[in-house]
Amino acid sequence: MSQDSDLTHFLKDVHWLMDILQNIDVGLVVLDHNYQVSLWNQFMQNHSGKAPERVLNQSLFEVFPDLAEDWFRRKAEPAFILKSAAFTTWEQRPYLFHFPHYRPITGTARFMYQNTTIIPLIDTKNEVSHICLIVYDVTDTAMNKLAQIEANDRLKSLSRVDHLTQLYNRGHWEHCLDQEFKRFARYQTPCSLIMFDIDHFKAVNDTHGHPAGDEVIRMVSQSLRQQLRDTDIGGRYGGEEFGVILTNTDSSGALEFAERLRQQVEATEVPNGSESIKVTISLGVCELSALITNYHEWLAAADTALYHCKENGRNQSFACT
Amino acid sequence: MTALLLNEDQRDCLQEIANVAMGQSADRLARLLDVFVVLSIPNVSILNPNDIVMTLQSLQSLDEGQDKLTGVCQGFIGDGIAGEALLIFNGTDYRDLAQLLKYDDTKENRSEILMDTTNVLGGACLHSLAQQLDTHFSLGPPTLLGEHYDIPELLKKREISWNSALVVEINYTIEDHRVNCDLLLVISENCINGLVQKLNYLLD
Repeated sequence: MSQDSDLTHFLKDVHWLMDILQNIDVGLVVLDHNYQVSLWNQFMQNHSGKAPERVLNQSLFEVFPDLAEDWFRRKAEPAFILKSAAFTTWEQRPYLFHFPHYRPITGTARFMYQNTTIIPLIDTKNEVSHICLIVYDVTDTAMNKLAQIEANDRLKSLSRVDHLTQLYNRGHWEHCLDQEFKRFARYQTPCSLIMFDIDHFKAVNDTHGHPAGDEVIRMVSQSLRQQLRDTDIGGRYGGEEFGVILTNTDSSGALEFAERLRQQVEATEVPNGSESIKVTISLGVCELSALITNYHEWLAAADTALYHCKENGRNQSFACT
Repeated sequence: MTALLLNEDQRDCLQEIANVAMGQSADRLARLLDVFVVLSIPNVSILNPNDIVMTLQSLQSLDEGQDKLTGVCQGFIGDGIAGEALLIFNGTDYRDLAQLLKYDDTKENRSEILMDTTNVLGGACLHSLAQQLDTHFSLGPPTLLGEHYDIPELLKKREISWNSALVVEINYTIEDHRVNCDLLLVISENCINGLVQKLNYLLD
């Protein structure tokens, strides 16, 4: 009688456990050492759309040819050999099984991000004949994390870029200047600096008003952005003063760049109501040399070249020697 | 230092257990990578959060050209014992480690390499500790330090609910390779009761 009731209890327990395994909201897969599937719970069945009959006693890699086999084997082998658990996270690889994301309204990802745990299952002979693969849906966590990273990147860029000109602001540009100065000290590849400003900009503001002045600044910075190559670094240094760092460029290359920019600005008209405004710029060029001991001196030298232009009639470029 | 978390006998006992755990985990790493692992004596100490920051910073300073701590942390819990295992890589040439683990040394693979090493070393060491204490730990998923967590910052900023923690420090070096890492098992004072009981049981 008591044996009967023990057996009833046992069966009830097993029944409960099976129910839990089936209904738990994580994926459970048991694999033997040939990676043939011995258990495939409801979660796996529902998300993969593959019924147990299709999967059981089949090689996992045959049923899922897209699965990253080498990677997964590398993670799972230690569980067999060393009897220790192994973990994979979505940051290493977004998923092991490609399951399309299923929530039509609140689902934000195209597929399910997954963390997995691989645990060794030890048999009666104290050997690992099977491993259990546990698959967690971490889509929400992953999306939050990714959104946070994106927001941080955006904040970083906002704090670096000048709103009016979309060039780097002074703080970040000076930081870049310092970096390039230090790079030169180490590698001695030529590097040049151009400082330029808009001629008689105060008169533009006084005659046409500040909104027109802003338009002029926008035009000049747009011309600069058109001329910039990928490795050049342009910044707004002050009100109407700009700086450009030209990496891998010597004095004569920088002077060519300066002339091209000067001519473009001279040829561009800024429409302002019925009339249009034309401005010119003056540019001072300085190639970095071993005589310059810090980036402030480098800036000052380019500024001196800029004043030389101002004194000699403006709308020109000049390289200091 | 606040309270003495362990008496001398308990400390010695833990030291002995750590010795065995180190040996077993080193053996697994050696078997997996087919290398010799140099063993040292594990160090058991009681540290406050500041001491831990300093320990981590001194480990970090051994790592030339690294401005962030490189490592992985993994939580463990079971039978009244809970803590975190930190595996800190210092003075490690990742090309060497990548070669041993048969990865290409690319930036993407670096986190794989760290994770795999942690799975083996941390997993084996904790498994052995638990076995000797006649219990079983649940391990949480490992998390990369540096990218998402800055430990000195975490310990400084957050309100911490403990003043002192038991720290078991184990060093692993792989012979003939520039691979060196430290495994720190940190068990804070409020999660240590289970451990004290287990140690007393072993001492009796």
